[in-house]
Amino acid sequence: MKNSLKLLSIVLAALAFVTLNLAMTQKANEPWVIPAKYKAMKSTIKAGDPSINTVGKELYNQHCRSCHGTKGLGDGPKAKNLKTSTGDFSSKAFQDQADGEIYYQSFVGRDEMPNFEKKIADEGDRWAVVYYMRAMKK
Amino acid sequence: MKPMKNILRIFATVVIGLLLAQNVAFAQEEEVTEKPKERPARAAFESGLLFDGATTTLQPSKTLEMVIQHRFGSVENGITDLYGIWAPSNIRMGLNYSILDNLMVGIGATKFNKMQDIQLKYNVLQQTRSNKIPVTISVYEVIGIDGSADSKFGNNYKFTNRLSYFTQILISRRFNDKISLQVAPSFTHYNSTDSLVDHDRFAISLAGRYKFSPQSSLIISGDFPLQIQGISEYRKDVNDEQDLPPVANICIGLEVATSTHAFHVYLGSSQGIIPQENILYNKNKFFKGNIILGLNITRLWNF
Repeated sequence: MKNSLKLLSIVLAALAFVTLNLAMTQKANEPWVIPAKYKAMKSTIKAGDPSINTVGKELYNQHCRSCHGTKGLGDGPKAKNLKTSTGDFSSKAFQDQADGEIYYQSFVGRDEMPNFEKKIADEGDRWAVVYYMRAMKK
Repeated sequence: MKPMKNILRIFATVVIGLLLAQNVAFAQEEEVTEKPKERPARAAFESGLLFDGATTTLQPSKTLEMVIQHRFGSVENGITDLYGIWAPSNIRMGLNYSILDNLMVGIGATKFNKMQDIQLKYNVLQQTRSNKIPVTISVYEVIGIDGSADSKFGNNYKFTNRLSYFTQILISRRFNDKISLQVAPSFTHYNSTDSLVDHDRFAISLAGRYKFSPQSSLIISGDFPLQIQGISEYRKDVNDEQDLPPVANICIGLEVATSTHAFHVYLGSSQGIIPQENILYNKNKFFKGNIILGLNITRLWNF
């Protein structure tokens, strides 16, 4: 009887370990479905606007850095606890997207990526964040 | 003294009424002329809370904010009570909810005096980036309900003895990305006070922020109770230290703000937490070493 209990405990512990590890493995991101109106969006500020390195940098650091990392590499302190990868803003795949696609992903969001439309209410400020992420290109 | 009290109440009501009317007038003007939309300036302060006072900052509509405010005892006894950490401490837990982008209501409970409070903050005017409107103005009201035993309020106890009111007009300006300042005149009224303590007091509060990194700021504030003999019920030449008028509540500290949190670690003088307590009862003098370590945490949820 004792041996059976021991065996059962070991099996349960092993199952818990495997389940926990599987749960903690980050899934690759599903492709984003981005509405056409966002794809066609044009920025309300120009590249090189002074707000990019002031407002854009400040808002990125306040709202995005904890998951996406200081340089957008997806290595922020909270990133490991997420189910999905936070991506790499310096990568070609990210930088090849249209401005409006980055805007939609950043502020409308989905699942673990929260909506930031309320927290960053001003349209110009949002574009400053988009251009700040553009500057993370390798 | 009663006519003076009524005059002050009428004055406070008229000021708030005028400010609200002004807001309506602005809205009407916008509808008629359809001018290009002014961009509101970014908030002067990261949080609606600065130490134990309010700022003009309001969270967007449908945002719930949880607030935990903690103040240890005075550092004066040194290592004996670990610089106030082992001394009796005061704590407040509160919840604020933004009904509209410019209207917040809140409730809270504080340990000292078993104080409950109801709060309301209304943003009347918003600073714009073009500087057409150079300041942000909000009206802030705190109603306190003292939960102490009936006997504290004397022989002729009535529930209304428990009530206290704090009315403040907050005027702030974000000068640039680093520096913001605020000035806030206020009026405090207690229905019932300790002996030799005035029921009414005007005060002026000053606050400032210097943001030295994207998430961190140096913050400072001072609440200065005004001794106006015209509304004082007692002579100013009292001898007992405890019967002297209240003194300024000075706070200086560090603020760290993230997307959903604001943390304050600071040194302050008053051990009260809700503003009317600090204005009417603070006898701790910051520059005489009556200093208290304080901590605040706020957490936001958007719906």
